[in-house]
Amino acid sequence: MVERIQADDPSGMEELYSVFTTGIRFYLCRQLGSQDLDDKVHDAFLTITQSIRRGDLREPERLMGYVRTVVRRQVAGYIGAAVESRRNLVDPDHGAILRDRKPDPERQAIERQNADLAMRILNTLPRRDREVLSRFYLQEQSPRQICRDMGLTQTQFRLTKSRAKARFTELGQARFARRLGFSASSVTGRTGPAAAQVS
Amino acid sequence: MASRVDRHLDEEAAEQYSLSNLSARKVAEIEEHLLICEPCRQAVAASDAYVAAMRKAAAQLRQDEQKPKRKVAGK
Repeated sequence: MVERIQADDPSGMEELYSVFTTGIRFYLCRQLGSQDLDDKVHDAFLTITQSIRRGDLREPERLMGYVRTVVRRQVAGYIGAAVESRRNLVDPDHGAILRDRKPDPERQAIERQNADLAMRILNTLPRRDREVLSRFYLQEQSPRQICRDMGLTQTQFRLTKSRAKARFTELGQARFARRLGFSASSVTGRTGPAAAQVS
Repeated sequence: MASRVDRHLDEEAAEQYSLSNLSARKVAEIEEHLLICEPCRQAVAASDAYVAAMRKAAAQLRQDEQKPKRKVAGK
């Protein structure tokens, strides 16, 4: 594929697109959000193909690592530019930021629904389990520290975590099924909170 | 290289990635794999959604739990 891109063979470009489009899109969306995503993906491909044609990729078998490096640099560039533009939005008299990034209402709604599900789960758990999850996800304590402080075995810790996650998935699927108007037991394939997040 | 990048993520690795708890080397390995693997992208998206929801809910719960304490302390 790399040789074909270097030789300006359109089939090389097509293959590059088909292999990497979704992955690059996922990475950029995860890092930067969905705003202007198509343009960003297009820019990434432009940079990648141009640099491959220039011969910057010396080892074709390192293509995946190379693509990741290019996209990471692109992300760093966008973040740098955003920081700079926010700096320019500061009111020089008051030092306050005048305008923030435009929020994505759909994404906010999905996140709020997911947080409500998580809250329902936490509220039904015994106090000890709630504390385990809070320490791990909110306070970012290590499993070792949590087990030591709370007198748990690694297995008890893992079980607490996996039960909560299973319940989250189950409730998410039920919510999804209700929206479609059929029972949760008939839901198959990828549904629930994660599906909503990706779409 | 192929075997390293071709390996699918287990649930634990996806969660650690969502929590940003991995070494730079491991992150590179995972991100290279994610470029080409749809099931693992779905696993990471699911994990991202769960971690974010849990953080938000746990933070809210903690705030709620602290409210009555403050009231008592203020009396």
